[in-house]
Amino acid sequence: MYVYRLMLFLVLGGYLLSPLIMSGWATPGVAWYRPFVIWGVLIALTLWLEQKRKLDER
Amino acid sequence: MNASLAGMLGVGGGFLLLLWLCALAVDRGWISTRITRHPLVYALALGVYASAWAIYGSLELAATSGYGYLTYYLGVAGAFLLAPVLLVPIQRLVRTHQLASLADLFAFRYRSRWVGTLITLVSLLAVLPLLALQVQTMGNAIYLMTGAASPATLALVFCVLLALFDMTFVGRRRIDGRHDSLLAVMALSSLIKLSAMLGLGGFALFAVFDGPADVQAWLEGPGQAFQASVVQTDPAHWRSLLLLFFAGLLMPHIFHLVFAETRSRHTLLQASWALPLFLLLMALPVPLILWAGQRLGADAPLGTAYLAFGLSESVGLQALAFLAGLAATSATTLLIALALSGMLVNHVFLVAHPPEAHHDLYRWLRWLRRGLVTAVVLGGWLFYRIVGVHHDLTSLGLAAFVGMAQCLPGLLALLYWPGANRRGMLAGLASGILVWLVGLWLPLLTGLPALVLIPPGGEALAGEPTWYTVTLVSLASNALVLIVVSLATRTSEGERAAAEACSVDAVIRPKRLPLEAANGEAFKASLAHALGESVAAREVDHALDDLGLSPQDGRPYVLRRLRDRLQANLSGLMGPSVAQDIVDRYLPYRQDGPGATEDIHFVESRLEAYRSRLTGLARELDGLRRYHRRTLTRLPVGLCAFGEDGELLMWNDALARLSGIEGASVIGSRRESLPAPWGELLGRSIAAPDSHLYKQPVTLGGTTRYLSLHKAALEGSDSDPGGMVILVEDHSEMKWLEDELVHAARLASIGQLAAGVAHEIGNPITGISSLAQNLRYETDDPEVLETTEQIQQLTDRVSRIVSSLVGFAHGGRHLAGRELAPVGIAEVVDEAIHLIHLARSREDVRFDNRCPAAERVEGDAQRLLQVMVNLLGNARDASGPGDGVTIEAVPEGSGLRISVTDEGAGIDPSMRDHLFEPFTTTKPPGEGTGLGLPLVYSIVAEHHGSLEVESPPPGSERGTRISLWLPRHQKEGETPR
Repeated sequence: MYVYRLMLFLVLGGYLLSPLIMSGWATPGVAWYRPFVIWGVLIALTLWLEQKRKLDER
Repeated sequence: MNASLAGMLGVGGGFLLLLWLCALAVDRGWISTRITRHPLVYALALGVYASAWAIYGSLELAATSGYGYLTYYLGVAGAFLLAPVLLVPIQRLVRTHQLASLADLFAFRYRSRWVGTLITLVSLLAVLPLLALQVQTMGNAIYLMTGAASPATLALVFCVLLALFDMTFVGRRRIDGRHDSLLAVMALSSLIKLSAMLGLGGFALFAVFDGPADVQAWLEGPGQAFQASVVQTDPAHWRSLLLLFFAGLLMPHIFHLVFAETRSRHTLLQASWALPLFLLLMALPVPLILWAGQRLGADAPLGTAYLAFGLSESVGLQALAFLAGLAATSATTLLIALALSGMLVNHVFLVAHPPEAHHDLYRWLRWLRRGLVTAVVLGGWLFYRIVGVHHDLTSLGLAAFVGMAQCLPGLLALLYWPGANRRGMLAGLASGILVWLVGLWLPLLTGLPALVLIPPGGEALAGEPTWYTVTLVSLASNALVLIVVSLATRTSEGERAAAEACSVDAVIRPKRLPLEAANGEAFKASLAHALGESVAAREVDHALDDLGLSPQDGRPYVLRRLRDRLQANLSGLMGPSVAQDIVDRYLPYRQDGPGATEDIHFVESRLEAYRSRLTGLARELDGLRRYHRRTLTRLPVGLCAFGEDGELLMWNDALARLSGIEGASVIGSRRESLPAPWGELLGRSIAAPDSHLYKQPVTLGGTTRYLSLHKAALEGSDSDPGGMVILVEDHSEMKWLEDELVHAARLASIGQLAAGVAHEIGNPITGISSLAQNLRYETDDPEVLETTEQIQQLTDRVSRIVSSLVGFAHGGRHLAGRELAPVGIAEVVDEAIHLIHLARSREDVRFDNRCPAAERVEGDAQRLLQVMVNLLGNARDASGPGDGVTIEAVPEGSGLRISVTDEGAGIDPSMRDHLFEPFTTTKPPGEGTGLGLPLVYSIVAEHHGSLEVESPPPGSERGTRISLWLPRHQKEGETPR
């Protein structure tokens, strides 16, 4: 359940704060691929949580 | 405009042929199920979400809103990141109750067929703009590729081809309620569009630009002019877009694929990272294509959405842009038509015209769905012709997503608020839909200005875009009305039960009631009234197969499971409302039976199945439950439990061993239907006024066993189930020991009696014998001498009897206080043979002593000699002239088995059970005292040995074998064998 709470927290937090992150993307000097890097990190985090869940359920 | 029309039709036809071949290969099993059922195939199939909007619409949005285009991908990716708390509970419901669509789920939860109908109509209205978007992009793409004058006609040809292709899926047999081939086709489409998009992105990055650094340099240099025209998305708009695309999950085709086609929870959780990854790869090329087009100053006659076509004059690159769009539009249109036709059948047609006993219900349903598939696809084309051509992709897409988002409050209430009821949901949905219709949908259709209903206090919304205002107002009014009406109105019992079944934290307490139908055959007969004979038989057989049951099984538990399974299967066929109506009407519960009680066995079996999903305290409690369950199951005493209605709930391992009946075959039965003698025996215990029934004789496996039964009532209260628990103890061994004890006590009392009699008779007899002796010396009269001789012979006989009686009476005391010594058994037998021969009687009987000289037993030599003399004497007396008596000794366990075998007439079976009782003899009167064998028994018992009689011995037709088992003498250093 802790894993789910963490996920809920991340997604809701991300939802509320995403405009702040987004405003930074359009700033000159910021690498154009930054949003995709952040997105990739989120996917990696989800994958890690999924692996952890599988281990927990064994 | 380089490609020919025929070439484009060839690409389109070839693409559809490829999809058809893929479906065929999966259906025929040419592709291994390990591949087709792999979680990654499912995740790729979910890529159908990336419709034509993802290929063309995103470019349009990226050009005007910059990174705002990402909301389309991030919204649904967020929903998948929440898979464990949002998607998995819905998947559990959908799988348990065989629900195939959002309308099914709503109709099930809010217990109303009209709710299902309303959701279906909302879905239909919402997806029409989305379908129009697909058709519009396809028409425009064909126009851009060929320059054809009538792209709408070409789009119509394409739609007809799609409808025909879609029909093949309607007729396909379903495996486990899912289409493997449909998933494979969707996955292949996703793979093609992803490859095409990555190809376009790669061209932009490495052919137009010189890698990522060059892109950065261009953006900070010449590209700034283009970036200046981009209006960055307002934070509030960004959040609203995220929410709308989050609700994209509720689109009929996405819902169908995510929940109805998913193979397992594991598959869905794998998709929680795999789908966002797919969407990331789809989104990445979008800005690259846009910037490449801007850098090249690419021509885009139909708007920035189709910029990819202008990146190069190369037909190959344009074909790639066309193929990406073709794969996206085909997959989306196919799946929308398929999912929506199912919803229309279940929630509009079958509700309006309940299925009569059609001659062939399956055929009728199949053709109905095929017709609806065609109608949906052509409806999309028609909407495009009337509406789509006048609007851009963003307007069409947003209209669809805002409409579908109206189901979001109802869905969240379904999962997390058991207090929500039908009236609240309907009122909320109606208010939201009204705002959406007048604010977005109708203006789209009619071209009239949008009527945005801004509530008092919402004046700040006045300058906002219409889509944003409509989204906020419709969702707020929807949620608010749902809450207020639900709180203000009464919730029905049915809704409350369904709410418990749907709620994430539900405590599901299924009840059990007896059914009127007695077995599977009766189910078929009842359902035939609704479905026709053949369909009813097929559905019942299918359900029995699913559960692995026999049609003759009449256990109430089994019948309830069969009813549930039938309802679920029928729900998959014709929706939950119709399925429930049919099952309630034709498979009713008995009204005269006992009241509803909790179905403990079902709860347990479900807990077993869901174990891996329990976490935290629930898991701890489940561990405790398993421990107690195991304790009862492994209890070395037989245990069974009955519910209040007399249904068997538990039958533990010990009882299964004792009865030879496996628990799985009887649990769920009524007591009366248990195999003999259990039904009657347990009934006797339940009916008895006393809590205990001792040593009830029962014939089990041909032998008589003595069972003791102890019962206790499981006191029922409002919350705890009642019933009865019965312990069954096998007391057969104890009964045998008790019988032995009684026998021994009888022997002891006879011994005491014999000792007294011997003492009283002994003295007078000695006197008589002495007087007779004296008389012989005082007379020469031959008659008197003969008489005295006879008197002496008779007194001798009486003396022998008395001596035997005394010997028997003293049995058991002789060894007390005496040390046992090693006794050579061969020597004892030799001495006994010698003594027997001294009697000069029956000298024609041969004795053969085969005992090994080295074998010794622990005992008293004199007492054992007495045993052997008695046994050999009996053997001799029973033998005929020339017969042999064999004495053998073989080690057995820690002792020695000594057997005396004769070839005589044997022992009458009627005498065999009384052989060791005093005064029992097979000899003629005057020849035997009947004390020999009781004495042998007594002495052998003193030596802690045992005695067996076989008459005739195994392998012989006549004779008797008496075997003694005596503890063997262990030499020092020798271990017992």
